[in-house]
Amino acid sequence: MRARVFVTLKPSVFDPQGRTIVEALGSMGYGAVRDVRQGKYFELDVDAETPVAARTLVAEVADRLLANPVIESYRVEVDEHESRLPPVDDGGARNVRVVDDR
Amino acid sequence: MKFAIVEFPGSNCDHDAYHAVRHVLGQQAELVWHKDSDLRGADAVVLPGGFSYGDYLRTGAIARFSPVMGRVREFADAGGPVIGICNGFQVLLEAGLLDGALLRNRRLKFLCRHVHVRVEQTDTPFSCGAAAGQVLRLPIAHGEGSYHAGPETVDALEANRQVVFRYCDAEGTATDAANPNGSLRRIAGVCNRRRNVVGLMPHPERACESALGSEDGRVVLESVVASMAATGAA
Repeated sequence: MRARVFVTLKPSVFDPQGRTIVEALGSMGYGAVRDVRQGKYFELDVDAETPVAARTLVAEVADRLLANPVIESYRVEVDEHESRLPPVDDGGARNVRVVDDR
Repeated sequence: MKFAIVEFPGSNCDHDAYHAVRHVLGQQAELVWHKDSDLRGADAVVLPGGFSYGDYLRTGAIARFSPVMGRVREFADAGGPVIGICNGFQVLLEAGLLDGALLRNRRLKFLCRHVHVRVEQTDTPFSCGAAAGQVLRLPIAHGEGSYHAGPETVDALEANRQVVFRYCDAEGTATDAANPNGSLRRIAGVCNRRRNVVGLMPHPERACESALGSEDGRVVLESVVASMAATGAA
């Protein structure tokens, strides 16, 4: 199963990179972009029986390693229909979409 | 006494620390690889500066899961003196052995120069040889040294006198201009509640000989030698 984790600095934490980007955009004429917060994006391929199990596992991984709870928060998305792993041959009982990224 | 200096892949101040402890202070020192599972009977542990694991993910985030960090935690839990310098400070924060986190420097620049810090607390093993309010001139070399903690955490740090070093000017005045990286409340170094674990961004080990531009860092390392001698452990 494919899981996506979005890690962002907490709103209370100053993001100097985001500030620099928004200032650059302003100088490029994109004054309509009022603010930018830079974050991190992770794609995880997870062996899990159910989306709930995958979400639980990935949240644990995010808590322990991917995000630092002192300064960051995160959001987890799980897509049970998406995987980089070969499809399981179960007679077509499950709708598994395979993304070929070669 | 004997120092264990932990080497992570990407540490680059491990030999600076070894030189300062072994050749300047004349103490025993042993380099301990991050995959080792014992600290060789050391009396104090140094987590040195550098770029452990290439600073991937976050500074110190991967190193904190090294096998040796389990031993460092046990050592600290037993009251043993542990100091984290620069990247070592980042590792201690990621490991939860100290409170807070370090963010990108406010103006995003990697800073490599001498700064001044004021010794705020002298009842830790790494500051007991200094005078309260003593100003130390120490080098910094970091891109992610802006100290941050939540309001409750930082208030607790102040209330429990856990801010050990604070950026200041040459006269010891804590001004915003003397804050090189935007650290909250100009915090340069903190200790844990028990006061045996200390972390700081400046490099005392690189300021132990006049040839290196400052000898002010000696007091940090000499403090732990003196505190060990006082407790009879040396």
